[in-house]
Amino acid sequence: MFTTLIKWARHRRTNTIFLAAMAAFFVAAFYARPLFGHSAGQQSGPEAPAASNGEPAFRFFALFSDPKYTQLELVALMVVLGIAIAGLLYALLLAKQVKAADQGTPRMQAIAAAVREGADAYLAAQFRKIGPLIGIITVILYFTTQSDLGAFKFGRAGAFAVGAVFSWLVGFVGMRLATTGNLRVAAAARRSYGEAMQLGYRTGTVTGMLTDGLGLLGGTLIFIAYGEQAYEALLGFGFGGTLLALFMRVGGGIYTKAADVGADLVGKIEKNIPEDDPRNAATIADNVGDNVGDCAGMAADIFESYEVTIVAAMILGLATFGHKGVIFPLLVRGIGVLGSIISTYTVKAGPNDTSDTALKSVHNGFWIGSIISIVGFFALGFAYLRFNPAINLLRNASPEDIANFPNTVPGNLPAWANFGHAGLDMRPVLTCLIGVILAIALNKVTSYYTHTSHAPVKGLAKACQTGHATNIIQGFAVGYESTVAMVVVIAVAILLSYLCYLGTPPLFVAYGVAMTGIGMLTLTGNTISMDVFGPVADNANGIGEMGYDAEAMEKQEKGSYKHARQILADLDAVGNTTKAETKGIAIGSAVIAAVSLFASFIAVIAVGSEEKISQMTTGQYIAEAGKLTVAHPMVFIGFLLGGAVPFLFSSMLIRAVGRAAFLIVKECRDQFRDADIWSGKKKPNYGRVVDICTSTAQKELIGPGFLAILTPIAVGFLLGTQALGGFLAGMILTGQLLAVFMANAGGAWDNAKKLIEDGHYGGKGSEAHKAAVTGDTVGDPLKDTAGPAINPLIKVMNMVSLLALGLVIKYNLITGTASRVVGLVVALLCAAAIGWSIWQSKRESKELQEMEKQFEQ
Amino acid sequence: MKIHLYLSLNPEALIASHLAPEEFGAYLAVGTQKYSRGQAMFFDIDPAMQSDYPPFQEIGKRCVPHLDGSPRRSTYLAIYRVLEYVPVAALGRLHLATHDGRVLSLNPAPYTPPVDRCFHLYQEFCPVTPRVVSTLDPAEFCQRLTDPTVPVYVPKIAFAELALGKLATDLESADVGNLPYSGLQHLRDCLRELNRKPGKPTKVTVRNVRDDVLYRTIQGGVYAGQGRELKFYPIPTPADLDSAHHEWWHSAQASFGS
Repeated sequence: MFTTLIKWARHRRTNTIFLAAMAAFFVAAFYARPLFGHSAGQQSGPEAPAASNGEPAFRFFALFSDPKYTQLELVALMVVLGIAIAGLLYALLLAKQVKAADQGTPRMQAIAAAVREGADAYLAAQFRKIGPLIGIITVILYFTTQSDLGAFKFGRAGAFAVGAVFSWLVGFVGMRLATTGNLRVAAAARRSYGEAMQLGYRTGTVTGMLTDGLGLLGGTLIFIAYGEQAYEALLGFGFGGTLLALFMRVGGGIYTKAADVGADLVGKIEKNIPEDDPRNAATIADNVGDNVGDCAGMAADIFESYEVTIVAAMILGLATFGHKGVIFPLLVRGIGVLGSIISTYTVKAGPNDTSDTALKSVHNGFWIGSIISIVGFFALGFAYLRFNPAINLLRNASPEDIANFPNTVPGNLPAWANFGHAGLDMRPVLTCLIGVILAIALNKVTSYYTHTSHAPVKGLAKACQTGHATNIIQGFAVGYESTVAMVVVIAVAILLSYLCYLGTPPLFVAYGVAMTGIGMLTLTGNTISMDVFGPVADNANGIGEMGYDAEAMEKQEKGSYKHARQILADLDAVGNTTKAETKGIAIGSAVIAAVSLFASFIAVIAVGSEEKISQMTTGQYIAEAGKLTVAHPMVFIGFLLGGAVPFLFSSMLIRAVGRAAFLIVKECRDQFRDADIWSGKKKPNYGRVVDICTSTAQKELIGPGFLAILTPIAVGFLLGTQALGGFLAGMILTGQLLAVFMANAGGAWDNAKKLIEDGHYGGKGSEAHKAAVTGDTVGDPLKDTAGPAINPLIKVMNMVSLLALGLVIKYNLITGTASRVVGLVVALLCAAAIGWSIWQSKRESKELQEMEKQFEQ
Repeated sequence: MKIHLYLSLNPEALIASHLAPEEFGAYLAVGTQKYSRGQAMFFDIDPAMQSDYPPFQEIGKRCVPHLDGSPRRSTYLAIYRVLEYVPVAALGRLHLATHDGRVLSLNPAPYTPPVDRCFHLYQEFCPVTPRVVSTLDPAEFCQRLTDPTVPVYVPKIAFAELALGKLATDLESADVGNLPYSGLQHLRDCLRELNRKPGKPTKVTVRNVRDDVLYRTIQGGVYAGQGRELKFYPIPTPADLDSAHHEWWHSAQASFGS
């Protein structure tokens, strides 16, 4: 059914009709206000007449009739929607450009088709597996929503489903485009460097703009529909995206490394054949893995960060700056999308460019986007962030609330915050600026620790001269050190956000941090373009290796084969660099989003239920935050447990890679026994390995998925809300450190190997090279499976905690206000499922046992 | 079925086979069992060549197809002092097989002495396998090693010159970049000794090289000879190998060795 839906959506005519209907719908909503809310002049929204149960009444699209929203604000929201749609149209335009490009020879097309089929099969299988789970969770969310209002129940559950579908769509389309673009890049490399580079980058931009467009569209639509009561729906939307991203990351990570390690173990180690040798049955699966891991996984991961940061900013914005605090992040995102559209289009390369100039062009694109965004932020802030100096921003003002502005008056803000204009508050803009700078700084730190031109990787390559152990030891040192650098950068960003709001209630600081996240992901379009470019170039190189006909090309034009291969190798190198750089942003954004969500978590505990969050006073928030101290034993216990979870999660994933790789080794060995395959007369059965990877990746993601979803629930029901708070704090801290360590150590080992292969310390085949290969093999599952999967883990656990918090407050065994038996049963069920997951992660598969028997014989 | 005659250098053997060089190279490198592997170097020999060497008389008798009609992959005719008995003139093309059985065939060409280096590094393949540094060019080296008047000599020799990088002209060069040899310090010391003692033309750096020699380190080509009679098998440049013999070159670079 879903495939039919996709086919329908991809149909050009229906696409146009769909977009036209959407546009008409919103224009109608805008002008026909009485249909959706009260007539002008009547109050609605939170200030609307109370319902029979004493809660504020709710109407969809109430903001259109709420006098609090000016005509200009409503127009601005429509413009944001328009920008989101423009982003999607830009993606469509680029996709058409990519698809129209030359597809190369039939041999190249056959290889690309095999990769594409494998990638499609993987995502279809994953959707078949996850689809029912999404359905079940949607139903659970509907029935567990605390509010009695059907609109909120539907909002949370429906938004969850939409968030999940959007996340899957970003991954699916991104990967589909990548598997289309790789062939075109390989074909274009036969003619010109610039053409190949541009095609590769634009392939990535399609995914980037899709992420931008869908993320902005979702957040804006929810706000337009629910107004200031969008909390439930926003959480659902964020959770849907996050959960899908976790599965995409985990499944993709297991797939890519199982295929890679399996291909290498049999191909390179046992048979001594080169990478991408067509006789190796795992070659296609390896290329598919690059797409499902680096493309679909990363795109879904960034998409969820994009969603979660906007969710956090909108929730906190409402509790601090009122409706302006909600609309501002949406407008900022709109500017970011515009910046990405303009700047990604400027990335171009000439026919005779090199890696360095191409990389410079990509970086220039990022700089142009940053400048456009920053100028836009300041202009927007200057025009929009003006407050009436006579009133305090918080509705339920308490003595602490007046700390929002010095002496309660916005006009008393220092000059750096109001630029000398009474009533102007540029602090949200400044925190966005911090976010943009943070993204650039994280890029630089990651680049420093993982790029071949810097001391850490050079040192690692040098250490390879003295053997395998010294390389591993040095790699650990580089990885550990890099975590400190990343933590310092993130801590400085949070500190600067805090300084912007110095003297104000903590919720404002949390809003500042959330806006830092918004700023950081402003150029998501550029970031994902850079990331997806990596696997596209990598795959194009593989297609060149397997699909170019060297002799025919040389006959046609002397030196053309070598020239084209050199272009592909250069593009691969550029792609490796850009891909590595974006990993820092993915991890950083996860931390910033988690910190923002943590503030929402405290806010919900403070008021006892998520539906009352809009009525929270700062005093309540400060009182609750003060209870989260490690001096409290339950908090400390939660802190320890939370700190341990990322380690257990990583262990499960790494074991899963090992298990899946063994199955692939077995299959490849079986196929190599066929003399015709070995001699190159017969094509191996690539599909068989692709099937093994697909099925094992699906099977293996159940355990880590259970761990991510059920652990916070078990901790919350068993140990109470304080312990759950500690649990989240511990998990964010160790999760971030572990993710950075694994990503950077793995990246450094990988590039140390590349440095040696480029002719240093003995070059290919030397003892140093052997040691470097060992380091790279150790680092592979760290950097491509466990490390990246920790980003969504952090956010999933935060989201699950937030969503379950209402029930945890009621039913937990320590401070629960309702039947504790319910809490006990839920906790025990969750603990049993987690125990089963751990047991599953350690078992040996039947195939592995069979292999061991074979070795013993 | 056509019978091919090959002189294998590692291990030294005279082998008759129904397999053409590409198939024979793959067979030698990977065998028929799944875990068998290893580089192989072998010369073509004309099986119809007139020779008093007894194994030649056995070719037709022993190299017969299997009972089921399948070709005979290898019939070992001799495994000891083979190179010694095969005339240099009888050596045809040289085939270099990689670990996974890709074969590069080299034709003999007129010898031209290298002029751009003061020091040379030679890897002997047959009949013994030391690695030697020398001030002699390949032709002089061959003459010297096969000269019966010197106390230590071999009747014939097959060897290749290996890359020395910047060390070929500058002993103290710090940049050894792409040289994969283990014990580089010892190699440098050996070169220094040659430099210090002009009367000493050769110095052994490794007595017996057991690992595969990395094909990418072969510089100039492979030589086989006796006295003044020298056959030179030039190896194409890396750029030519990459474009004209891509699969072989890619495979050769995927190997580990010394």
